Amino acid sequence: MLFAALLVLGLALVVFGPPPPILRIQRVTIAGAGRPILPMRFAHDDDHRGIPCATCHHEFVDRRTGSTCMHCHVTDPKVSPLLERQFHDLCRSCHIKEQAEGKPAGPTRSCVACHQTDEEF
Amino acid sequence: MSRGNAVLAAIVGLVFLVSFASGARVGGGWFWDLGNALGFLGLAGILFQMIPAARGAATKRHERLGYWVLAIAGAHAFWFLLGDGAVRVYLQPGAPLAMWLGLAALLVLAPLTLLARMPERARVHRSFRGFRAVHRFLGFAVVGTASLHVALTGFYLTRWLQDALLLAVISACCLGRSYWARLGAPAVASAPAFAAAGLAAAAAFVLARNLGR
Ligand code: HEC
Ligand code: HEC
Ligand code: HEC
Ligand code: HEC
Repeated sequence: MLFAALLVLGLALVVFGPPPPILRIQRVTIAGAGRPILPMRFAHDDDHRGIPCATCHHEFVDRRTGSTCMHCHVTDPKVSPLLERQFHDLCRSCHIKEQAEGKPAGPTRSCVACHQTDEEF
Repeated sequence: MSRGNAVLAAIVGLVFLVSFASGARVGGGWFWDLGNALGFLGLAGILFQMIPAARGAATKRHERLGYWVLAIAGAHAFWFLLGDGAVRVYLQPGAPLAMWLGLAALLVLAPLTLLARMPERARVHRSFRGFRAVHRFLGFAVVGTASLHVALTGFYLTRWLQDALLLAVISACCLGRSYWARLGAPAVASAPAFAAAGLAAAAAFVLARNLGR
């Protein structure tokens, strides 16, 4: 009985997300991108100042500017399935590396720390 | 301390130590590290319960510890689902394999534990032999899925060395009946011992990864 109740509760959490006091993250369709994805919180100033632009903006080097990260990475069928892997590799591995070196770093694991729209923080 | 409790404490300690064998004390913040400490504790409990031994009169304690292990493993899952509003996408279509393995481990651990209770067990299995075979098989399935879940999420276990060390602990706990028999006491420990060892290990785990940041 208890087990069945927990199972239903777990399923409800997976489908609907946690109850109100906890911030619930929904996938959203951002401008120019085809399918809904988790929102991303990212700021150029303070935290990421001093990092060479091309570390992230490979399109500056590839001379393919004029389009946003998400436009290409969500609509291009070649990289769209890799969205999570490529971006977690880019963002999280730097944060993990910095943290391992004992420097201030961004979120390494906490999903909500990155997956919020910028308006929510 | 009874021999069983000492073995349990050693397994808890070893599992947590493996997570530090990368040489780095990276963490994911208090919330994440505490939730994952619950996960490692659950794994350590599962491994202890796997020690092959004729338990006989000690079965009651094996059973009671089993509920604790199930509760810890369940708490590990609900901790994240309730505390981080984005985690649930990892159990939706398209989620990584590691997460499905974690879910599978929990979904096998629950019937493994609950259907071993006495009135229910007799209803499902007519003979003790049949029960024991199924119980063992499910046990190995839980160990397999849970340890792959840990290895593939790869946050604390980032090096091959750590995977190898974990595999060594797993093998020691799941195999070698004669070796365990020589140790003497049947492999039973008390729930308070599990809670105490777990509390100490989890506190060390969380503090080491977050203090001074
Ligand atoms: C360091 C920041 C960071 C952290 C921490 C992080 N992510 Fe991401 N993640 C990103 C970025 C950036 C993208 C790509 C852009 C986007 O999807 O908004 C992404 C993409 C994804 C995607 C693919 C997009 C989609 O909606 O299918 C999933 C799924 C995802 N993340 C889940 C998670 C989960 C679950 C966690 C917590 C365990 C997490 N992420 C933690 C930065 C992060
Ligand atoms: C750590 C990675 C990173 C670094 C370093 C970085 N950016 Fe960005 N930049 C991004 C991401 C991610 C976005 C998309 C932001 C969003 O959707 O909220 C972006 C967006 C932009 C945009 C808006 C257009 C677009 O592509 O969405 C401009 C312009 C831009 N960056 C310029 C720069 C310049 C100039 C530098 C160097 C001084 C720089 N960035 C450094 C990650 C980075
Ligand atoms: C013009 C389209 C386009 C834009 C704009 C774009 N990307 Fe990409 N990105 C690609 C493609 C295509 C690939 C696949 C690798 C390749 O062919 O270069 C890729 C690869 C990557 C990779 C994986 C690199 C690797 O070595 O595996 C990362 C990380 C990445 N992009 C991040 C970003 C970020 C961050 C932005 C915005 C700041 C961005 N991209 C903007 C098209 C784009
Ligand atoms: C080359 C290294 C590097 C890369 C790549 C990088 N970050 Fe960071 N990030 C940092 C550092 C360093 C900090 C912390 C700075 C501090 O606290 O002083 C940080 C902080 C953050 C924070 C915390 C902001 C806050 O106020 O809590 C967020 C969110 C974040 N990064 C998101 C991202 C996302 C999303 C990406 C990928 C698009 C990304 N980062 C890529 C180095 C990086």
